[in-house]
Amino acid sequence: MSDQATLSVTMLGAGQEVGRSCCVLQYRGRTIVCDAGVHPAYSGMASLPFIDNLDWSTVDCILITHFHLDHAAALTYITEKTNFKDGKGKVYMTHPTKAVHKFMMQDFARMSSSTSDALFSPMDMEMSIVSIIPVSVHQLINVCPGVSFTPYHAGHVLGACMYLIDIAGLKILYTGDYSREEDRHLVKAELPPLRPDVLIVESTYGVHSLEGRDEKEGRFTNLVHSIIRRGGHVLLPAFALGRAQELLLILDEYWKKHPELHNVPIYYASNLAKKCMAVYQTFIHTMNSNIRTRFAKRDNPFVFKHISNVPSTRGWEKKIAEGPPCVVLASPGFMQVGPSRELLELWAPDARNGLIITGYSIEGTLARDIMTEPEEFTGLKGNTIPRKISVDYISFSAHVDYAQNSEFIQAVKAQHVILVHGEQNTMGRLRAAMTSKYKERDEDVKIHTPRNLETLNLSFRGERVAKAIGT
Amino acid sequence: MASSVFYKWASRKDESRVQFDGTGITVFDLKREIILSNNLVKGNDFDVHVYDPATNQELRDDAHIIPRSSSVIAKRLPVFRPAKSRIPIYIGNAPGAIPTSDTVIRGTTTWHKGALSKRFDGKEEPSPLKPA
Ligand SMILES: [Zn+2]
Ligand SMILES: [Zn+2]
Repeated sequence: MSDQATLSVTMLGAGQEVGRSCCVLQYRGRTIVCDAGVHPAYSGMASLPFIDNLDWSTVDCILITHFHLDHAAALTYITEKTNFKDGKGKVYMTHPTKAVHKFMMQDFARMSSSTSDALFSPMDMEMSIVSIIPVSVHQLINVCPGVSFTPYHAGHVLGACMYLIDIAGLKILYTGDYSREEDRHLVKAELPPLRPDVLIVESTYGVHSLEGRDEKEGRFTNLVHSIIRRGGHVLLPAFALGRAQELLLILDEYWKKHPELHNVPIYYASNLAKKCMAVYQTFIHTMNSNIRTRFAKRDNPFVFKHISNVPSTRGWEKKIAEGPPCVVLASPGFMQVGPSRELLELWAPDARNGLIITGYSIEGTLARDIMTEPEEFTGLKGNTIPRKISVDYISFSAHVDYAQNSEFIQAVKAQHVILVHGEQNTMGRLRAAMTSKYKERDEDVKIHTPRNLETLNLSFRGERVAKAIGT
Repeated sequence: MASSVFYKWASRKDESRVQFDGTGITVFDLKREIILSNNLVKGNDFDVHVYDPATNQELRDDAHIIPRSSSVIAKRLPVFRPAKSRIPIYIGNAPGAIPTSDTVIRGTTTWHKGALSKRFDGKEEPSPLKPA
């Protein structure tokens, strides 16, 4: 038993919740942190992962899976405000993730500075960004003796990857957010070529099934069209980057096919996205064949024909809201503050208007609350606003559903499966479903659902690790 | 003249401080000031804990008095049922503590400067809000 070593897995965030992903792996004296996100339902320090119990100077590396704020926005605080830089720790993310992360953080800092909830200065942000080491998918990276990793495509958003991590021979696959369905611009998540000992996997949708792509897109475009036909405005709250690009590709194509809609503008309300379009255009080679073929034919799919940027003048929301029918894609996706919230408050009282929630909505945000279709809701100024606007939910959020997730989990064949990034009940149902699946087949696979700061200790014997290397 | 007690979030490089009048501050009031000055008033999934840096012992007794000019370590740790968070206990009578909207303005770099409601003369004067 002397050669028994223990892997400790501690969630500082995203343990039985969605938001502030941050997972600490400790094995044979090495410490690896996967993701450093904030919780979108909170602001300031309350949005950070539970970082106080870790000595950050002992961290060997931080691996960021993708640019979404719930996976990356706490990075600046960790590198600049903790003792992380007293140690030898390195920070890695893919090239496109780094390129977009920079813009995301500038925007994040600008938004939070207006509420005096700022966690760091613009200078801190610059310092943090220069220290990030960009990596390519499929590249094997040696971090320090005994620690290496390889990123694999995760689908989800541009640049998103999973990490296959090797610590002293023990192999851990950390998926981050992932999708197994090819969409209009991204490749789907890959199955890594070897069998890890531990799989740490997202569980956002638990045992839910999502509709197929064609069905979903059809429902979406029909709905948009019918709202316009009844003389209404269409509000699509979405994060500036990620799914927004997919929605724009769908709308642009639909408009092309429907000349009767050509006088109906589609507005894309994001300066951030305008900046990031250049990044999307730069990384076309990482996208799927659909996009690459169009690009090769000099038809750049990210040069939209029917999408206009909103005027960047103050009060544009009001101007557009009072104008003729239109479609507006506005951030933020959860509508706490900002353009999407402002438009919602202006459009909510008119039954002709329509709101379509297009992504996963985190508990505690207005986007989630409004899905219950309340008679009224509270405006930012504390006023009561009647809700007559129609509310629909069509998820384009590019996470795996139950069928895809359980298939992937089984294909990976890890002995220990750790579910993260899911609400408590959702995760519980997935665990129950997977447990019975394995029981039927008499397979001994352990499924864990640790809460934040509840350290999970998994023991591995030396031989088992050696065997894993050989396979 | 204002007195200070210093606190450092366990994961942070630098220290912050809380100012008050008198020779010491109760754990209760210190926690309250930490919660207010870091805009943690709306927290419902965590508690703030403070520790003696020399012994690493948690200072659990809210009535305990921390002498001025000393330092403590602070940690934000999760609670698993929102109703169990003790944050509201500490901010029960704080001005601006009513969570009206997302825009409760409170700095993170400046600490709460409002007058404390208590005197600190080193003598026991338990807060009326002290939990049982
Ligand atoms: Zn994501
Ligand atoms: Zn996520």
